Amino acid sequence: MATSTLLSNPKVQIGAAIGSIVDLTDQTTAATLTRTVEALEDTAFGTGSRTYTGGLENNELTVTMYMSYAATETYASLSALVGTKCTVKVNPAYGSGDSGTNPGFILTDTYLESLPVVNASLGELTTVDLTFQGGVYSVDTTA
Amino acid sequence: MKYVIISPRLGTPGDEFDPGDDNVDHLLAGGFIRQSTDKAPKPSKVKTKPKE
Repeated sequence: MATSTLLSNPKVQIGAAIGSIVDLTDQTTAATLTRTVEALEDTAFGTGSRTYTGGLENNELTVTMYMSYAATETYASLSALVGTKCTVKVNPAYGSGDSGTNPGFILTDTYLESLPVVNASLGELTTVDLTFQGGVYSVDTTA
Repeated sequence: MKYVIISPRLGTPGDEFDPGDDNVDHLLAGGFIRQSTDKAPKPSKVKTKPKE
């Protein structure tokens, strides 16, 4: 049995730099931040199993958001970030600050390659899928 | 240049926003902040009494 469970309700902030990240939680429906350290094979003769060592980090954040063209909403927040290095921060739970039990996972200098400016389907709310590639991973546990 | 937060997405509306060295053009264009029109308070004009 799980000793700690968490309703999926993260806080998602995106911006040009950590000092100007914008809270887009209320437009976000999915977020996955993955820390990856590329595996480099270092198996040598004389061993019976493949072994690996850590290479470069290759982190990624994927988010799904409702699209809105109103002031201070999705388009206004993201349009200037396309093709630039930006900063994203995701906390597991909304409503409380950074702490050891609600760490702020940060990617600095992560790259936003594309933004679907129109993604329309008949009878559906418009959503966009974004991928932030690379960046330096850090964790903030202090309020 | 001083800026004031307008949108709660960025912080508490009314608070001063210090961008440091960051470019804030997109925040201004997006309606997140505005330039502060507050002027620095003038120094008091109380004159000291000249020594006799």
